[in-house]
Amino acid sequence: MLNGISDFITDIFASETFLSDASRYITFATRFILPLLAVLILWRCTRSLLAGKHEREVWGYLSLPNGAKIELTNWENIIGRAASSDVVMEYPTISRSHAALIRNAQGEWTLFDIGSKLGVIHNGKDVKSPVRVRTGDIIELGGVELVFVKASAGQEREQAMGRSRPGREIRPGTTLVLLTEFILFLGLQLCTSAGDNLDISVPIVFAALIIMIWVCYMITRALDRVGFEIETIAFLLTAIGFGVCASSDPDALFKEFFCLIAGLLGFWILGTFLRDLDRAIKMRWPIAAAGLLLLAVNLVTAESIFGARNWLSIGSISFQPSEFVKVCFVFAGAATLDRLFARRNLVLFVAFAAVCVGCLAMMSDFGTAAVFFAAYLVIAFMRSGSFATVLLSAAGAAFAVFIVITARPYIADRFSTWGHAWDFPNDGGYQQTRTMASAASGGLFGLGAGKGWLKNIFAADTDMVFGFVCEELGLIMGIVTICGIVALALFAVKSAGSARSSFYAIASCAAVSILLFQVILNVFGSLDILPFTGVTFPFVSKGGSSLITCWCLLGFLKAADTRQNASFAIRLPKQRQRPTRRDEISREEAEED
Amino acid sequence: MKKVKRRTISVLVLIAVIAAGLGLYIVRFAIHGDDWAGFVSNGNAFSGGRLQEGRIVDRNGVTLLDISGGSYSYAEDETVRRATLHAVGDRDGNIGTSAIKMFASELLGYNPITGIYSFDGDGGTLQLTIDSELNAVAYNALAGRSGTVAVADYTTGEILCMVSTPSFDPENPPEISADDTSGVYLNRFLSSSFTPGSIYKLVTLAAAIENISDLFERDFNCSGTMQVGSDNIVCTRAHGEMKIEDALAMSCNCVFAQLALELGSATMAEYAAEYGLTGSVYVDGIGTAAGRYDEAADGSIDLAWSGVGQYNDLVNPAAMLRFVSAIANSGRAVELTQVDSFRIFNNSERVMRSSTAERISQMMDYCVSYTYGEENFPGLQLRAKSGTAEVGGGKDPNAWFVGFLDDEEHPLAFVVLIENGGWGSAAAGSVANQVLQAAVD
Repeated sequence: MLNGISDFITDIFASETFLSDASRYITFATRFILPLLAVLILWRCTRSLLAGKHEREVWGYLSLPNGAKIELTNWENIIGRAASSDVVMEYPTISRSHAALIRNAQGEWTLFDIGSKLGVIHNGKDVKSPVRVRTGDIIELGGVELVFVKASAGQEREQAMGRSRPGREIRPGTTLVLLTEFILFLGLQLCTSAGDNLDISVPIVFAALIIMIWVCYMITRALDRVGFEIETIAFLLTAIGFGVCASSDPDALFKEFFCLIAGLLGFWILGTFLRDLDRAIKMRWPIAAAGLLLLAVNLVTAESIFGARNWLSIGSISFQPSEFVKVCFVFAGAATLDRLFARRNLVLFVAFAAVCVGCLAMMSDFGTAAVFFAAYLVIAFMRSGSFATVLLSAAGAAFAVFIVITARPYIADRFSTWGHAWDFPNDGGYQQTRTMASAASGGLFGLGAGKGWLKNIFAADTDMVFGFVCEELGLIMGIVTICGIVALALFAVKSAGSARSSFYAIASCAAVSILLFQVILNVFGSLDILPFTGVTFPFVSKGGSSLITCWCLLGFLKAADTRQNASFAIRLPKQRQRPTRRDEISREEAEED
Repeated sequence: MKKVKRRTISVLVLIAVIAAGLGLYIVRFAIHGDDWAGFVSNGNAFSGGRLQEGRIVDRNGVTLLDISGGSYSYAEDETVRRATLHAVGDRDGNIGTSAIKMFASELLGYNPITGIYSFDGDGGTLQLTIDSELNAVAYNALAGRSGTVAVADYTTGEILCMVSTPSFDPENPPEISADDTSGVYLNRFLSSSFTPGSIYKLVTLAAAIENISDLFERDFNCSGTMQVGSDNIVCTRAHGEMKIEDALAMSCNCVFAQLALELGSATMAEYAAEYGLTGSVYVDGIGTAAGRYDEAADGSIDLAWSGVGQYNDLVNPAAMLRFVSAIANSGRAVELTQVDSFRIFNNSERVMRSSTAERISQMMDYCVSYTYGEENFPGLQLRAKSGTAEVGGGKDPNAWFVGFLDDEEHPLAFVVLIENGGWGSAAAGSVANQVLQAAVD
């Protein structure tokens, strides 16, 4: 039965007349349809992600002696004299960053002294270690007395009901219909361009991809979640990546598809795991240790494939552990607001990062080492806020790079041809010149999926994938792939201020930084704007480990998406629950003030 | 959380890097995309270093080369094939300045919007400004001698004729041994420089007009030789007393040697450079072979000889064509071009005062009527200067004939060079006549 269908499909695309007439028209049309659809899809997702204004939420209050009421608009709040504090108190006796007031998912609040000069007093007692605060408690900061009142469950529910949900204005379903059309046209074009050589995996995997996307969407809706833009962008990029794979190496398509499933599972598991902040924080160091272990095993046993010793083989499956370590790295780097002020915490992370980057450098995987380092810089800056830390790290890294260059002449070679690829088109500039020649051949609309030549060059579908996409699908599509990652990054920036914890904000920013820096190295390396390093383009480059990891990293982004009912990685507020007696009391208390 | 929010600037920095890099790439793509697509290792367009698609036609639409699926078919007529070989190029890409090598992206039909895509996969069509019939006439006129003939419209810079010999039939390329010295792959018009001989007197004359105020009042005298230091400048005969007009028409070495000595080597060099005769000039981005003017010591015999186009003087035929075009065009040199679509901007540059150009033009008219004989160029309003450049080594001199038609309907400038061709006006002049007659016909 399956054979019959497969023969039928192959026959259609292989028949002479069909090839000579229809295939030209199909190529001609899809060259315009595909970029148009891609731009539309990306535009809809980006607008939906970024357009909405940040909706102010109130989770509690602090009453001043003069009766004024300060709203607590975050789960994590810094109280201090500095303008960057969440609650700014202009008293000379209050330190710049004095205390932290943090709510957890259960609605419990905790008070921290974060290194104030004159101390924090809770209900008359000095706060040495973190202490629970309840409605009506008196908090004294540098002689200023504040009364804490938390928002009642009823208020919180009302607040949740009042917030707008994504997907009302720009319907995710419509975007998915566009994405479905995109995949259909891409698959059709690939089938026609393959002609006689059509591999049956192409139509099967493209059909399965469409089904997969809709199943994911239905699961999301079944969970009463409406945010699907992040997934849609990732699916769009994954589809483009499948297009690349179908053109260069159709045999690998099934494997890519199974890795997509693995990536989606990782994405859901990680997102769900991140729902519970306490659990996530508890698991931080075990996960970091697992990452180090993975690197260590890799360093000892790995085989060298294509220059870098970063492959690990178990049975017939080979993978790049350093990819998965990225997830561990983000975990290790993120921290809650109260911890940002503990120096010991940062020192540990710096040591962890140094070990990771060092291991990668020893494996000669300098591209990935650079990606880790970029992520480290972003995390270090988000945690310390100090340019000095970042500059010092960068200086140290520059020194290390200098040592490496002097010690390994083949790395120095790469730097010597950098910027002069066209002067060395057959040695140091081999890949770059071919990438640019192919990209130019495609113009804005490409030569048609499956019609390119660059695929004949080694690593075209990974390290030179931007040129591959530009050649077959056009510069517009190339820009769409970059903008897709940029849109995810902008969303991480936008949602950082309203994340439930700085843990989520830092994690999502670190995750998108990894994706952004991979784009920088992959695209600009292959275009001779930066030295050429073998780094993958997120979601688009062929490669299972990379695809799985990119999807997992999106889990962090979902955990920072606090738009109402948007993300499965955020718990929904309990609905229609009868107000409890305690809620009534706290509401009365709140109203009295 | 405000602190954390502020620190997301670090992510924005990465985004800014992407925006800057992408912007840089798009600018480079817009500027260099055609060169990239025409890169000989671009497998979309080349196979084994050979262009796979494209067509070259002449100004009248005559097909000079049709490449389809990597198979090359040249013009039907063998003489046309030989006459346009250096303009079009051979299969194996041995002619470095040929259209196949230089304009690959045009042949591919490249543009930045659609790249090299074409619906039927046929590539593009490159229209050259040359007239294949005129090339054939020039090729026949050279009659197996080595040299070059070029004709251009001096108001637009369009090259109508560009022939270089020796040539061969690209449909049946001969075996050419690696130690071949004939320079068969060389387009002499663009890529060679030769001793100019007497045509260089035009340059000395231009410098003299602008620097010696009583030039036209002076009486010159030639006794057949002129002593400079311990050496002699020699003329073909004693020209006797004359004005500057006669000195040019009789091509008197003594007079021009004297002018060069008077002007000094610095001024001579300055004018040579100003007229583009020492550096490269550019024809559709192809740099020509550089010419040469060595500054000899003032008062020396070398300086004297340099004023009559001997000593170490070298000129490139394309640069010479540009120079006579400027004389014809009131002192403005137009940029030469051989590709129709490149003539969007009519780039011209004033290299000479219009009064100087007018004066030289009249004197070249006098050369024709007085020396070369109008009857040898029937019906042509010809203004020209010949050159017989001694090349030494016991070889016959190089014959030059350069000039233009003072004819609004046919604003044509030309350069003819025959290597070891003998007497300039006789050998090269006759070739020029045949080509120009065909051109105005």
